[in-house]
Amino acid sequence: MIPQSFDYSAPATLKEALAQVSSGAKPLAGGMSLVPIMKLRLAAPEQLVDLGRIPELNYIRKEGSELRIGAMTTHYQIESSPLVRADCALLGETAGRIGDVQVRNVGTIGGSVAHADPAADYPAALLALGASLKLVSTGGERVLAAAQFFLDTFTTALDPGELIAEVRVPVSSGAGTAYVKLAQPASGFALVGIAARLVRAGNRIGSAAIGVTGVGPKAYRASEVERLLAAGKPTREAALHITGGIDVNSDLHASAEYRRHLASVYAARAIELAWSRTE
Amino acid sequence: MKISGAYRLSLPQERAYALLQDPAMLAHCMPGAERLDKVGEDEYQMKLRMSIASISGNFDGRVRVADKNPHQSFRLVVEGTGKIGFVRGDGLLRIAAEDSGSNVTYEGDVQVGGTIAAVGQRLLDVTSKMMIKRFFDKFAEAAASA
Ligand SMILES: Cc1cc2nc3c(=O)[nH]c(=O)nc-3n(C[C@H](O)[C@H](O)[C@H](O)COP(=O)(O)OP(=O)(O)OC[C@H]3O[C@@H](n4cnc5c(N)ncnc54)[C@H](O)[C@@H]3O)c2cc1C
Repeated sequence: MIPQSFDYSAPATLKEALAQVSSGAKPLAGGMSLVPIMKLRLAAPEQLVDLGRIPELNYIRKEGSELRIGAMTTHYQIESSPLVRADCALLGETAGRIGDVQVRNVGTIGGSVAHADPAADYPAALLALGASLKLVSTGGERVLAAAQFFLDTFTTALDPGELIAEVRVPVSSGAGTAYVKLAQPASGFALVGIAARLVRAGNRIGSAAIGVTGVGPKAYRASEVERLLAAGKPTREAALHITGGIDVNSDLHASAEYRRHLASVYAARAIELAWSRTE
Repeated sequence: MKISGAYRLSLPQERAYALLQDPAMLAHCMPGAERLDKVGEDEYQMKLRMSIASISGNFDGRVRVADKNPHQSFRLVVEGTGKIGFVRGDGLLRIAAEDSGSNVTYEGDVQVGGTIAAVGQRLLDVTSKMMIKRFFDKFAEAAASA
């Protein structure tokens, strides 16, 4: 189908884009989520502001102990960045597991994070990494931790008139990380996705951060599993707690019970793989 | 799609039972509800604007309260139709006294059809649950100040 008609502009600066967003224009990033919805006429924004021509939203650089990634950086750019591979391998590995190559070439980290699909891949990694987001509006900017940003299914802390400008990820030094996912074959989205970040203390796990996606209403940190791992419990035993306290999703592809089982199996795999990568 | 859950309210059972059927409360708390007009005993006409994940659309529908078993349970039937699809929910709400408040459990069936269902199949369960949770969160807040 053809979308309803709309006004379109593609400003070259963030400032111009913000002015339009503040007067109600809908941001367009890769369009991988937004355009199909418009074609089906499930959304009919009157004005679109394309962020694709704004160089100041597309970069990956290191500042102090953080990697800073512009919102318009594509999944492919993140997956293939030597800087990401060296300093935050978990994010690169996660980006490489999103959808298919067409989606990764066009879809952006800012678009994915703003959309907040409960089965999107980045949120699991961003939570495990303790990442934060820089949000900007005509009124200024603020920085929010990922854990404070993802509020619920498709619901974020983004205010009207605000844009995501940047994703900030602490540089992982010495940690072992892994992202493992069971993708639903048709959509590519995660039935279960687990991001693990482990720090070794001698012969055992010193600390663990585990992010989970696809399983609950939004991505979350499996704090009970993290606690058990740091207390020296065996991986498989700890992994059984991966859905503790979570209202587990159920759909055509996986019932809640099956998902719960998958989540503990994939959690154990992610933890074992991350452990094998610790230094 | 079957749906069930529970929610704790810090309201006595009788008051929870009454407020959960109060059209002003329903109109205030149902996500996206724009108006609710009485069309008969325990039956209302509703206008709703849904907006989630960039999707938005208007629905016209009905809300009906049935099978009233005072202070303990009743059925809530919500139906809406719009350009982007239709939604039908039929749930039994049970209200039990618990400590100084009450515990509401619900059990029911949600059907979603049309374009929204075709694209959102994998998301119907999570989004329905979120809408119900939003309803109760807002309800608890509104009831506390009512
Ligand atoms: C076939 C297919 C398979 C996919 N598989 C996966 C998968 O396996 N895993 C996964 O995680 N994702 C998957 N996706 C989603 C994909 O990653 C999208 O690219 C992403 O969700 C949206 O990014 P986008 O850049 O395309 O954003 P758009 O579609 O352009 O925008 C999405 C939403 O975000 C808003 N927005 C965009 N940028 C900003 C910004 N900077 N600030 C504020 N709001 C903004 C838009 O207004 C819109 O509401 C898939 C998509 C498709 C089509």
